[in-house]
Amino acid sequence: MSSSEPSTIRDLPMSSNQTAPAATPPTSGGEQNPIREAIEQAIGEHKVILFMKGTPEAPACGFSARTVAALQSLDVPFAAVDILPDPRIRQELSAISNWPTIPQLFANGELVGGCDIVTEMYESGELAEALL
Amino acid sequence: MPFPEEIKQRIESAIPGSSAEVEDYTGGGDHFRATVTAAAFAGRSRIEQHRLVYEIFGAEIGGPIHALSLKTQTH
Repeated sequence: MSSSEPSTIRDLPMSSNQTAPAATPPTSGGEQNPIREAIEQAIGEHKVILFMKGTPEAPACGFSARTVAALQSLDVPFAAVDILPDPRIRQELSAISNWPTIPQLFANGELVGGCDIVTEMYESGELAEALL
Repeated sequence: MPFPEEIKQRIESAIPGSSAEVEDYTGGGDHFRATVTAAAFAGRSRIEQHRLVYEIFGAEIGGPIHALSLKTQTH
């Protein structure tokens, strides 16, 4: 008998420009909120991670595109999660970060900001300091 | 759909002593850019400053206010 229920999402739609992407170990226990867990795990595992609309190669919105461009011009390794495939990703992310908009850039496990903040920091040189 | 003037007033009411300049930058009524100046921002990180403004609008961000681009400053 095949289940028509979608399987829980363990793997976020991620891409990375790092040469050795971190392996995602299976989550143990706590099946209550697999998406929230996957997000928290991704934020903890990747030094720099961007939650965005679309992918770095094909951003789906101008704000996401600008944020990606700042990261790419600093040539910093980063992971990217496309929030578009599943609306629950954005929902859980905003609950975790207490931030309402996309994109969201995290570094060293903490929210750096959205497009406006990242752009300001890029222009002032603070972004390089925060990420490298 | 909100007007820039309404957004400006809501920010200035919610953050005493603040002044806000708000523009609708696409003309479509849902993409806004706001520059908010407030002494209340002093000593806070950019994230905290932006959160103070976003919290005024709650669930409207991403809804009727599709985008609210922020620049915050203390003077």
